[in-house]
Amino acid sequence: MPHFGDLEAAIMNAVWATNGPVCVRDVLEQLDREPEPAYTTVQTVMDILYRKGWMTRVKRGRINFYEATASREDYVAGLMNEALAVADDRTAMLVKFVEGMEPGEGAALRQLLNTAKTEESAR
Amino acid sequence: MSAALILFAYAGLLAFAAPGLLSRGGWTARAPRLGIIAWQMAAFSLLVSAALIGFALVVPTVQVSADLANLFRACVMALRDQYATPGGAAAAAVGAVLALAVLARAAWCVTVSLAGALHGRARHRDVLTLVGVPAAHLGAVVVDSDEPAVHCLPGRRRRIVVTTGALRLLDDRQLAAALAHERAHLDQRHDLVLAWSGGLARAFPRVRLFTRAHAETVRLVELLADDVAARSADRLTLAEALLTLAGSRTPAAALGAGGSTAAERVRRLITPYPPLGHLRTALTSTGVAALLALPLLGLATPMAAAAHLHYCPPGTVAAAPTAR
Repeated sequence: MPHFGDLEAAIMNAVWATNGPVCVRDVLEQLDREPEPAYTTVQTVMDILYRKGWMTRVKRGRINFYEATASREDYVAGLMNEALAVADDRTAMLVKFVEGMEPGEGAALRQLLNTAKTEESAR
Repeated sequence: MSAALILFAYAGLLAFAAPGLLSRGGWTARAPRLGIIAWQMAAFSLLVSAALIGFALVVPTVQVSADLANLFRACVMALRDQYATPGGAAAAAVGAVLALAVLARAAWCVTVSLAGALHGRARHRDVLTLVGVPAAHLGAVVVDSDEPAVHCLPGRRRRIVVTTGALRLLDDRQLAAALAHERAHLDQRHDLVLAWSGGLARAFPRVRLFTRAHAETVRLVELLADDVAARSADRLTLAEALLTLAGSRTPAAALGAGGSTAAERVRRLITPYPPLGHLRTALTSTGVAALLALPLLGLATPMAAAAHLHYCPPGTVAAAPTAR
């Protein structure tokens, strides 16, 4: 499958921005890109997004209408679920900056850190 | 047979004693890189010796010869000798099954672990390209979420992900410290060592050395990345970034006796642990090298001794050294 990462993102954003089904022409009007992509390019990328499962497609008359399968928020929530999952088998997939800690630990460490900072600035 | 027994004793000792020895005194927190290497080598050594036990049972020790044709003939003779007795044949069958089973299981689980990570990352990255906003000045992708989090996607098409929630909580210097920590993970490909040790731990969950090696590696790569980040960022700033992001969540996983890894990291950044001295570093490195060398030695010693045995009829191989 050819790669249109940038354009895919722009098109998805345009589809998310409008409520309800859109056709290629609607998306083309919404896209604010220089140079303006060709109608057929947008058509191709929208078909790719459909095949990837990002959009549903319904034919009305001779025109295809597309709709996002899930909202942008749903996808973000999915990403964050993966990012915050504590499951062990995720360790090799994503590397997190930090896991959580107990509330008690946090308070005690905050105190320790503040003492260290005062000492540092006193020096 | 004796080689197999020596290896068996070594493997047993290693599996039994190594986890305790390596955790003793908490020295790994003072030298995380050496700690990772030590745990990995101990696990690898156990895997290799388990496989070698099998091979030692299958292949009787033969005269080592520089001449390939002679070596081959020696092997055939010795093999014929061993397989002529029912006990020898049974031992060889057990050995073959053991060696193949150990290696195949390890290879399979590590492959699954790697493939799973690759697949999951590709999907995560796909979603990220559509919902994330690249921020070139940060070298990261920003995701619009109130959940404060920073994480990275390792691999060839690597990404660092920061949420808007994290951007709100961290100031510029704290953010830079957090990003430096993630870059250290990516640059040193910690994901590969994690995939390997995770695969081994899943392959043999009953073997404590493997599960402990994985758990310790998970912990030590964090300490190592902190140390790398602390070269470019202030230690206390990094500690504050950690506290800010970790403080908002509680870990779901059960905690060890020393509390969460996050707490240990913060403590370690506030009061730097003295690095391991030269002597202890040298001693530990020697120990690590020995872990790798011992199983091979265990196989090589009886092999060398066997060089003086006459496995084969006179005139074939036994005559070879004099002919040379």
